[in-house]
Amino acid sequence: MKLCDPHIHMSSRTTADYEAMAAAGIMVVIEPAFWLGQPRTHVGTFEDYFGSLLGWEPYRASQFGIRHFCTLALNPKEANDERIADGVLALLPRYLAKDGVVAVGEIGYDEQTPAEDRRFAEQLELARRFELPALIHTPHRDKKRGTERSLAVVREAKFPEERVLIDHNNEETLPLVLATGCWAGHSIYPNSKMDEPRMAALVQRYGSDRIIINSAADWGISDPLKVPKTVTAMRTAGIDEITIETVAWRNPIAFFAQSGRLTLDDAPAERPAAFEGNSVRRG
Amino acid sequence: MSDALTTLRGILGPEAAALATESTVEAAAPYDPVRFEMAYAAVGRRVGSTPIGGGASLTDARGHAWTIADWGHDEAARAFLLLAASARVPADEQVAWIDGTYRAGALRERTALLRTLPLLPEPVRFLPIALDACRTSTQPVFEAIACENPYPAEHFSDASFAQLAMKAVFTGVALARILGLVSRRTPELARMAHDYAAERRAAGRDVPADLRLLETP
Repeated sequence: MKLCDPHIHMSSRTTADYEAMAAAGIMVVIEPAFWLGQPRTHVGTFEDYFGSLLGWEPYRASQFGIRHFCTLALNPKEANDERIADGVLALLPRYLAKDGVVAVGEIGYDEQTPAEDRRFAEQLELARRFELPALIHTPHRDKKRGTERSLAVVREAKFPEERVLIDHNNEETLPLVLATGCWAGHSIYPNSKMDEPRMAALVQRYGSDRIIINSAADWGISDPLKVPKTVTAMRTAGIDEITIETVAWRNPIAFFAQSGRLTLDDAPAERPAAFEGNSVRRG
Repeated sequence: MSDALTTLRGILGPEAAALATESTVEAAAPYDPVRFEMAYAAVGRRVGSTPIGGGASLTDARGHAWTIADWGHDEAARAFLLLAASARVPADEQVAWIDGTYRAGALRERTALLRTLPLLPEPVRFLPIALDACRTSTQPVFEAIACENPYPAEHFSDASFAQLAMKAVFTGVALARILGLVSRRTPELARMAHDYAAERRAAGRDVPADLRLLETP
């Protein structure tokens, strides 16, 4: 079965991860721009970060036969940093026009501050202007309220709900999202967010419509194989293959294909490199 | 220069006129850098990245001709935009313009710009960008400057050219793809190649057959 991990921060993962992901059937990854674990203090570092998501990381992925796309935004945490927020917002139009950008994201709430309100709304407008879907992060703290507020922002902006993916859902927030036209992402994590058996139970209860899974793997304790592991958990739970494929491949591809930039048929990813002990070419 | 523009226009067909209008590079309209940027970024989705193929080639101001059959249509379109815009951007702003366009470029935007460098006015001004591209680990970016491109042989110092040639060897690029290689061989490059061959043999690895192209005549 072809698999897609539609939320994974590959910049912080190793080539061994890429190898294992390819072996497990992951053919497409989508890397949202997020924060890097500690605050950035210069706008220029975002230029290099966006450049890396549009050049270096797709190249790294291509060596393992994996197609890499990205979503770009000022993330909710750093939306609170007045040193950089205006500057990054000013950069975004230039970058949102580029090939390989399949949504505006992650946007949304972290602490649910007025600054986050403002940047969330501004970036939804950018998504509208560039005809891109929006990937919306929901907060760790006060998640249910943050999800309700996010859905309200989308509604008030009259942003088309079928072009919105609300991410990091759990048992409490999924029904709220499914009651709208938005799609619902679930991050399967070793210790927090969702785990595989709970995810399988949600699919058994709610079906596959608009439901998406991802690993959200990054620089913290996380697992880039959580999508294939959740596929196994769904099989163990007796869920049929079509439902599993819908959740783990068709839905994320269909959602991000709304950008018009998720093309899987043109130039295929470079053949995996067999490079004399080096998994990335070195010169 | 105009020869290259004519060739690229022929390759792009009717798309060329539409692009010229949209990006404001035609002489009739006021030049708008933002509209140029947007067209430059988005054109790949319009024309695709399939290779041009056939016998397409370009000639620089010094009369050197080289094949562009392996360029993608997106690269041809971006080269067309850069060349056309170079007649609109004031001469003293061109280094900053090309540098900014390269720096903000996605992978295919960067490869297109590097392939266009030898065709821009006074190409030696853009040497820092070409050298920067040689330091990358993004292999397609390195190959865009190193392979089927007359720029390095024309403008690199001996030391930089030797590094480029050795990096090609290290990353498995056929040396025949480096234009002007024979004319830029030096005793120092031959020594590096010799040492590299010894290092390979000591490690029990094979020595690339085309390494002998680096020997001094």
